[in-house]
Amino acid sequence: MRLQLPDGTTCDMSGEPTTVTTLLTGCNINPLEVIVTRNGRLIPEDATISGSDDIRVYLVAHGG
Amino acid sequence: MDTATGKRDCIPSCDSCDEPAVYFNPGLQRHLCERHLCLDVEHRVIESVTSHGMVHDGDLVAVGLSGGKDSSVLLSILCCIVPERWDAEIVAITVDEGIAGYREETIQSAVSLTQQLGIQHHIVTFQSLFGKTLDSLLGSYPLRACTACGILRKKAFSDAAREIAATSIATGHNLDDAAQSVLMNYLRGDFERLLRDSSSMEDRGFIRRIKPLHEVNEKEITLYSMINGITGHLPECPYATTAFRAEVRTLQAAIEYQHPGASHRIIQGQESLSEQAKKTVRPCGAVRYCATCGDPCSGPVCQACGLLAGLKK
Repeated sequence: MRLQLPDGTTCDMSGEPTTVTTLLTGCNINPLEVIVTRNGRLIPEDATISGSDDIRVYLVAHGG
Repeated sequence: MDTATGKRDCIPSCDSCDEPAVYFNPGLQRHLCERHLCLDVEHRVIESVTSHGMVHDGDLVAVGLSGGKDSSVLLSILCCIVPERWDAEIVAITVDEGIAGYREETIQSAVSLTQQLGIQHHIVTFQSLFGKTLDSLLGSYPLRACTACGILRKKAFSDAAREIAATSIATGHNLDDAAQSVLMNYLRGDFERLLRDSSSMEDRGFIRRIKPLHEVNEKEITLYSMINGITGHLPECPYATTAFRAEVRTLQAAIEYQHPGASHRIIQGQESLSEQAKKTVRPCGAVRYCATCGDPCSGPVCQACGLLAGLKK
């Protein structure tokens, strides 16, 4: 599983099934402050991700 | 079924249909797909606008359009819902504060959106109104950027709205913004602001301000914007990280995550306090007018003229 964080850094993770929430809180990210896509599609924070998923985390830009 | 991956069972379904959810609301324990999230957001905006009497027939609503996601979503939704319900006109006002490396992109986004929606767009600049950009103002005056910007931007919006005879100014303040403002006023011990009822300001000579997104949180607005392709990825204001609000935002998000619905309760508490205060606190004095610009204000000069006078010393 490939993870891309809001600052652009990427890391390869184990493909074991986990929830988006577990993944984010493990990175000290509040799920309310980000949007997550799996293979380019929006997913909710309680979705389960696994295998070779491409996960991208986008920061909710403040203001405006 | 996700045609790209064949994985469907790991994504919860929408509570209103069988489509995969894109959003989970922890407070309501509710999953929504793209379509139902957008319908839900629009429904809450319609509910806010109608139940609070924010728009009336004959209104000229000036939307404060920074070009960021909140104001862009606000303008898009108002352009969709207002003409169907009221005989009212919508225009957009953008204030260019002069923030290098940030404003260029957001203003371009605002211009594109108003062209796409086919509405009038007025752009005013700090440079033309106050003689300097925000960047240069801050270079000569050691003031917190967001404080100075907030005061001058409010003045710029009011002047521009008055110029076009707007009856109200709509801003993109959302649920999170409102909860943060309550917390900030508590933390500053600023009870005058905490208890202020902005709905009564119109009687005191100010143009009515409306906040149709006040029941929608920032994540929902971001998703709405992404799903409908309203704004792309835009930069964040370089001064935002220095603001007191940035600290409070992190705190509020943490509280909301641990205690879903807390932001609503913070706002409800403030509204109850404000209602109680009306019964016990003496009413505001007669409206005064700024000795420099003539705007309604609470002291001898308005905040903007006071700030600008300080810059000239």
